Amino acid sequence: MSDRRLALTPWLAAMTVLSAGLTAANLAPDLSMLDLDRLLAPVPQDVDAMVMAYSRLPRLCIGLLCGAALGLSGTLFQQVMRNPLASPSTIGVEAGAGCAIAAATLYLPALLGWSRDLVALSGGFLAVGLVFLIAGRFRFAPLAVVLGGLVVGFYLGAATTTLALLHEYQLAGLFVWGSGSLSQQDWRPTLDLLPRLAVTAIAAGLLARPLVLLQLDEAARGLGLRIALVRAAALAVAVALAGFTVSAVGVIGFLGLAAPSIARALGARRLATRMIVAPLVGALLLTVTDQTLQMLTAATGAFLPTGAVTAMLGAPALFILARRLRAAQPQHTARGPVLQRVQSVWLLALFAILVLVALTATVVGRDLGGAWVMELVTALQPFLAWRLPRMVGALAAGAMLAVAGVMLQRLTRNPMASPEVLGVSAGSAFGLLVAVFFLAAPDHLILTVCAALGAAAVLGTLLVSVRRVGLGGNQALLTGVALAAFLMALLSAVTATGDPRAMLLMGWMAGSTYRVNAAEATVAGVLALAMLPALPVLARQLEHLSLGSAHARSVGLPVARSGLIVLCTAGLLTAAATLIVGPLSFVGLMAPHIARRLGFACCLPQLAAAALIGAIIMVTADLLGRTIHFPWQLPAGLLSALIGAPVLLVLLLLPGWQQHEPKAP
Amino acid sequence: MTAPAFSLRGVDLRIGDRLVLHPLTLDLPAGQVTGLLGHNGSGKSTLMKILARQMKPDSGEIDLFGTPLATHAPRRLARSLAYLPQHAPDTDGLTVRELAALGRYPWHGPFGRVSDLDRQKTESALAMTNLMTFADRQVDTLSGGERQRAFLAMLMAQDAECLLLDEPISALDVAQQIDVMSFVRRQAMEHGRSVVVILHDLNIAARFCDRLVVLSHGRVAGQGAPDDLIHPDRLETLYGVPMGIFAHPTTGWPVTYVL
Repeated sequence: MSDRRLALTPWLAAMTVLSAGLTAANLAPDLSMLDLDRLLAPVPQDVDAMVMAYSRLPRLCIGLLCGAALGLSGTLFQQVMRNPLASPSTIGVEAGAGCAIAAATLYLPALLGWSRDLVALSGGFLAVGLVFLIAGRFRFAPLAVVLGGLVVGFYLGAATTTLALLHEYQLAGLFVWGSGSLSQQDWRPTLDLLPRLAVTAIAAGLLARPLVLLQLDEAARGLGLRIALVRAAALAVAVALAGFTVSAVGVIGFLGLAAPSIARALGARRLATRMIVAPLVGALLLTVTDQTLQMLTAATGAFLPTGAVTAMLGAPALFILARRLRAAQPQHTARGPVLQRVQSVWLLALFAILVLVALTATVVGRDLGGAWVMELVTALQPFLAWRLPRMVGALAAGAMLAVAGVMLQRLTRNPMASPEVLGVSAGSAFGLLVAVFFLAAPDHLILTVCAALGAAAVLGTLLVSVRRVGLGGNQALLTGVALAAFLMALLSAVTATGDPRAMLLMGWMAGSTYRVNAAEATVAGVLALAMLPALPVLARQLEHLSLGSAHARSVGLPVARSGLIVLCTAGLLTAAATLIVGPLSFVGLMAPHIARRLGFACCLPQLAAAALIGAIIMVTADLLGRTIHFPWQLPAGLLSALIGAPVLLVLLLLPGWQQHEPKAP
Repeated sequence: MTAPAFSLRGVDLRIGDRLVLHPLTLDLPAGQVTGLLGHNGSGKSTLMKILARQMKPDSGEIDLFGTPLATHAPRRLARSLAYLPQHAPDTDGLTVRELAALGRYPWHGPFGRVSDLDRQKTESALAMTNLMTFADRQVDTLSGGERQRAFLAMLMAQDAECLLLDEPISALDVAQQIDVMSFVRRQAMEHGRSVVVILHDLNIAARFCDRLVVLSHGRVAGQGAPDDLIHPDRLETLYGVPMGIFAHPTTGWPVTYVL
């Protein structure tokens, strides 16, 4: 129809040629040495033929299958949830599978020996079952699926990492699986996967027509569509596709998000086209990655899991193509649900809780025998120097992340936006990585500077790349996601090498507060305090920005400039907080939703409530991290997810949202 | 008068503590254009959503052409009942023709073959709404009036005997308003379709509707032919502003104005 459609063919052709070329370059030299007889019926003594027939060829096939499955799965997720950030990871399939494997490794190893696939698959489906339980109450409304998926995913992810920290040695292999490895020993996984994927793909094809109608919202019901049924069926198919893939090769998460977006940017405008092009893109992208990787491995001997590297190639592709996407589209899922509006006076109650938690975190501890004790006045003196910095640091970091989360969710009008999504946290993590690996014995100051520089670099890149299209749209989000995925891929690749220096990073990434010193805590505290007077000023602009740029412009707001200010503020807050609690905290995403769900709907009350909630969660996490596994410590960043997720879960399951949705027969 | 298209008995709806619709008992005639009027918040859109089965009433019964509305299977209902919501959804890259073709879903369903009849109905819907020249344009690149017509085309392709239109002309200029309303009227006059349309403009309502139903605070405040209903006293009680009426100098239709 439009000229955009033409863009599709040359790009796809180029990708096909590239992946075919790489495959040929990788396999041909060895293939040409083998004749067909040796390959078809290799004898065990013939090592070259065995490797080719039972490892390299099945690896090529399973890569193609998994790439295609993830591309299709992502397309379905994005269509059902009407959100370009939706992907198999969104709904917790991978987190569930990972958690199941970790738990089985530790507690029921016999189960893994019997069938690792089935353990992963049932873990994934159990996680999704929980999400469906939540989403079903809201007739599978996109926002409910997204929130439920994120909560469950975060919770299980944090649980897995906690297990991994507690049982480092038993679970070392989990990192490799978690980063997605395509290595094959025979054809069985491929042959198992093929029929499963074929059946689910056919089911997806059957759903194509009703799925298009989902774009019409309530009008779709007028056309006789059972909306909830179609959403549930499509999600089930998408989950199955992702689940089969995960159980076969582990987590190759980024493809599910990137392939549909790349397909769309290439001009696949209609859903039917996307359902064909996205799997193609996924398969090609994974093949290119895997073949490149195999050549690298052969040349250097370094072992890298494919899943991690996929993001290294896919992220730049998404980065370049994101600007080709259509300008900002309205998000009807822009804001989280409000339980019941409450007066701002209730902020005082939250404040009181914070004070109580902060006091507890200062005075409560455990003695040498492990008994719980409470130190007061003079007895407290010697502990203050230890406990106060980390308590203040956790409090400040939680508040800052929560505020940054509110800002980003309102600015981009997407409930899935958060500091982690924009890559700022990943940027500081990357700064640390560079410092740890390339500087001789970096001291604390150098680490801090490097982390801040990393965050600044990511923020700068983001600003430059979205300068033309504006900040309020999906491009900014997708660009941030691409950056974050790229950096996190580098990090997890490094972690997967098992380098001892990587373990240091692991501890930091889980968000431990136990190394926080007085200087750091002071800086964070001062920044958090300095942020307070800025909030009312920013809140008014944000309130308008969250109604859309057209509205904001019409009330005389300089949209580009205030967007920039908000983004920079959020970036600064995130960088400061990341230094203390690591890049994977849950607070920036969830505290805004908890605040809204509690009834703080307007911008300023939401900012204030989110800051308080973020601080409460973080301080509680710090307190528990210090005490429950005494004398060892658990990272506060992880525990914040384990504490915050159930809170939001309960809030989601409380009745009260339904009345905002039309009652339907 | 023939059997009514809709027949409501004691239909009410409560949202939270508020009774949005008091028990309504009402017949809406078949083969005619019924205008649904009322102040903002009077329950017009809610009533229409209930008629379209987008919402379920708390109690009461509704018959569509003599059979209970609740008993129809979704697609069976969509074949006889087409509903245009007040706010057009984001169409995300669909072309006008593709949008219109979506109106055939109730007929071919998720798995049925798209027949020549489906294609033919889509094309004639585009022709009816004068959209042939725009057929391959993307809906989100069109002007407000054209976009409204694109959704009307989808409704036409749906080929239902009963049309429910929620403020179909609120965003249109005068010429387009007349255009759309004449089109709607022809659907009733020439094709015998039953139309229920929510309007705000009393003069348009008086000119294009066979019958008016006026809602006020969730109750029926009056119903009848436009000539009987459009009276200065009644209008004042309905809208709370004093209004006058004169006869159109050439056609004699009642024309209202705010005093």
